[in-house]
Amino acid sequence: MSHVVQIATQVRDAAAVRKACDRLGLDDPVEGEVKLFSQTVSGLAVQLAKWRYPVVFDLTTGESKFDNYQGHWGNQKELDPFLQAYAVEKTKLVARRKGYSVTERSLEGGNIQLSVNVGA
Amino acid sequence: MKIIQVVVSPDGTTKVETNGFSGSSCRQASEFLEHALGSRQSERMKSEFHQSHESNLNTQARQH
Repeated sequence: MSHVVQIATQVRDAAAVRKACDRLGLDDPVEGEVKLFSQTVSGLAVQLAKWRYPVVFDLTTGESKFDNYQGHWGNQKELDPFLQAYAVEKTKLVARRKGYSVTERSLEGGNIQLSVNVGA
Repeated sequence: MKIIQVVVSPDGTTKVETNGFSGSSCRQASEFLEHALGSRQSERMKSEFHQSHESNLNTQARQH
């Protein structure tokens, strides 16, 4: 092992968003304009369970937009499992696109480990 | 065997570690994943990185 990098996940890939929704049993994401409580935003909208309005991802910037009224219209902690699922699926997509095999394993504490085999 | 380990935490942040690479080749190997996943928050070199880099420098020095 020779280096370790910490990365803050940015949602920029529609295919990985779709796979994350499948993985979590959410409805397919919808591309377009979405009305939140007081504003209209555009991007790829994901409807989280128990959330009043969807979370909308701007795939160009990686930013997310939502209005959960300080938790009254949706617990922000429910966004975290989506980001985890997205990062897992995005890793698999890009690794397999390069011809590498990937194995997935659940770890203690809710972490998910992906081993990308890049050869000898 | 060259392996890139990606650990995705419950909050969606990821840690990418390279195994079995020599010197700075690990950075090139994992760059595609780092770029795909988001923005880099920190990077830490492991001892093997420096050992291999030092070895490369010694080899170059002997050649001169």
